[in-house]
Amino acid sequence: ATAIGPKTGRRVVVIGGGWGGATAAKYVRLADPSIEVILLEPNKEFVSCPFSNLVLSGVKSLESMTFDYSGLRRHGVKIVHQAATAIEPDKKRVRVGDDAIEYDRLVVSPGIDFLWEQVEGLPAAKDTVLHAWKAGPQTVALARQLQSMADGGVVVMSVPPVAYRCPPGPYERACQIAWYLKTSKPRSKLIVLDANKNIVSKTGLFQAAWKAYPNLEYRPANRVEKIDTSTREVTTEIGDKVKYDVINLIPPQRAGAIAVQAGLVGADKRWCEVNHVTYESVKHKGIHVIGDSTIGLPVPKSGTIANAMGKICASAVVHLLNGKEPPQMPPVNVCYSWVSNREAIAVINAYRIAQGKVVMIEQKLTSQTVAVAQNSEGWARSIWNDILG
Amino acid sequence: AGPLDAPGYAKAFSCSACHGFAGASAADTVPVLAGMPSWYLKKAIQDYASGKRPAAEMESYSKMVLELGVDDVAAYFAGQKKQPTPVKADPAAVARGKAASTQCVVCHGPEGKGDPAKGIPDLTGQPPGYLKNQMLLFKADRRSPGDETLKALKALMRTIPDEAFGDLAAYYSSLR
Ligand SMILES: Cc1cc2nc3c(=O)[nH]c(=O)nc-3n(C[C@H](O)[C@H](O)[C@H](O)COP(=O)(O)OP(=O)(O)OC[C@H]3O[C@@H](n4cnc5c(N)ncnc54)[C@H](O)[C@@H]3O)c2cc1C
Ligand code: HEC
Ligand code: HEC
Repeated sequence: ATAIGPKTGRRVVVIGGGWGGATAAKYVRLADPSIEVILLEPNKEFVSCPFSNLVLSGVKSLESMTFDYSGLRRHGVKIVHQAATAIEPDKKRVRVGDDAIEYDRLVVSPGIDFLWEQVEGLPAAKDTVLHAWKAGPQTVALARQLQSMADGGVVVMSVPPVAYRCPPGPYERACQIAWYLKTSKPRSKLIVLDANKNIVSKTGLFQAAWKAYPNLEYRPANRVEKIDTSTREVTTEIGDKVKYDVINLIPPQRAGAIAVQAGLVGADKRWCEVNHVTYESVKHKGIHVIGDSTIGLPVPKSGTIANAMGKICASAVVHLLNGKEPPQMPPVNVCYSWVSNREAIAVINAYRIAQGKVVMIEQKLTSQTVAVAQNSEGWARSIWNDILG
Repeated sequence: AGPLDAPGYAKAFSCSACHGFAGASAADTVPVLAGMPSWYLKKAIQDYASGKRPAAEMESYSKMVLELGVDDVAAYFAGQKKQPTPVKADPAAVARGKAASTQCVVCHGPEGKGDPAKGIPDLTGQPPGYLKNQMLLFKADRRSPGDETLKALKALMRTIPDEAFGDLAAYYSSLR
């Protein structure tokens, strides 16, 4: 049981207390405290994916990016630490096991889930072959595997085909693992098997940063098709067989399972199309989708974007519930990537809304400096507080 | 009215990702916008957007702000209660910075509040990391390079050793 009673006044339900959902829940309350907000999130703590690659290199601890939900409670958000099990758009309610929670508007921000079956051998091995693409226990476990590997060992990581969560994230991770190996296991190497034709994001900047890592071998257009944990070997689309001591296989991705199950995804069965001003689903009225689960806007699947969508969507939902026209609010994006233990690079995107669609104004890249790393710490501090504080 | 009802909110909401809610930055190298006088915020946005003041993070967003309406965004932040940085400065550094600040008074005033009539900004309560970075940028002529009106300021910065910037930054960040 969820201890949530029948709806009395106006109610917004939010599925997922990550970057998008937690922001949306808080901002609906900020915009109109007369609206009841219920947040469904199975995890008791929020663990930030941004910065979690630095846990792999030992530069930061997972505790330093783990937060509780007390800030949201102070805003009057009612949090139920359970997963939504189904959505019933016709009845305007969300199922949580045997319970049903009614809503006036629903915000869905379940992040991503994995397409395990696209890699042969992975469905059976998914508990031991780590992705560490949802920060938490897997991040710590992967860091331990790297630490306990003998010097001279080979680490293999795979990059999934686009679209996936955080375009520069795998390459930042490659930098962190390569930096760790270079400083702690100088005879080891890292092999990056990329399903894409080239580095997906900040290409030139990563290429420059990788000059510091002769221990990093990059193999583009080399999608992992098969894993055999008994021989500790992966096979790629071009028939390469690569032995590993530590494997980090980041599987192909799609929208969070609940979005797929509720029929919010398009013909690709992977991602959810939305209105660019309100984030209302094109599939179901009254249901808004934000964050990594969305597709069709010229934006990356980033935490900054999910946070911006949370604020915009909250505003739209409150305007609609109050019978007003939602304002047109373009998102912003920044993605910082740490390329060593002290230097970072960034990509910055600004957008406008033209004829009801989000359009990019421009994209800028920074150079690789300590100052950018400092600004990324500033960003993290500010945005974590914007989501949860 | 609630915290999101301020006019301009819908044009300024995205800044909180870095500058904190309503511009109350808690970060060391990202400036506080809450309570910033509108004339100065506007000038900064125009300088970033034109590329005169190079800053990767701000150039594109400033172009966006100009499209959305910089007057509304500036009015929004000017209308927020000023929130001095929560980053604590070392008292010894503050004392040293105070002693060194005599050279700054002629422009920034005895209390560091600046002078809108002369285009001189308020330094008080800005985060120390941000203030220090800006001094380093002036010294290297990387903030608004070649700007004739900033010649005296940059000449002064070149006479100051880098180590002293931390002290000056600590002092001005500690002022309220
Ligand atoms: C290693 C790594 C590094 C990254 N670095 C950056 C970076 O530097 N900058 C950046 O901007 N972005 C970065 N990202 C991307 C960023 O983490 C995501 O874009 C962001 O988390 C997306 O937000 P979201 O709300 O869509 O999903 P999430 O933040 O994942 O939140 C989804 C939440 O929904 C919950 N949930 C799922 N299903 C249900 C259900 N049925 N019922 C209830 N709750 C449910 C989950 O438990 C989860 O808490 C990185 C990602 C990774 C993996
Ligand atoms: C990705 C992070 C980020 C975002 C988002 C961001 N800023 Fe900034 N901002 C910075 C950084 C970093 C600086 C310092 C840049 C420098 O060195 O000049 C800065 C500086 C500024 C300054 C100069 C202040 C001064 O004292 O001179 C203003 C004004 C400003 N930002 C306004 C905004 C506005 C308005 C928005 C939203 C529309 C915004 N910023 C969004 C990171 C950001
Ligand atoms: C000759 C006049 C003058 C003197 C002397 C002067 N300043 Fe300034 N200062 C300015 C002006 C003008 C600006 C605004 C520049 C701009 O608009 O880009 C400024 C800006 C700054 C900034 C950036 C503020 C911000 O919000 O970005 C800092 C930091 C600063 N000064 C510190 C100092 C310190 C410390 C001293 C003394 C050591 C000093 N200044 C002396 C004129 C002066």
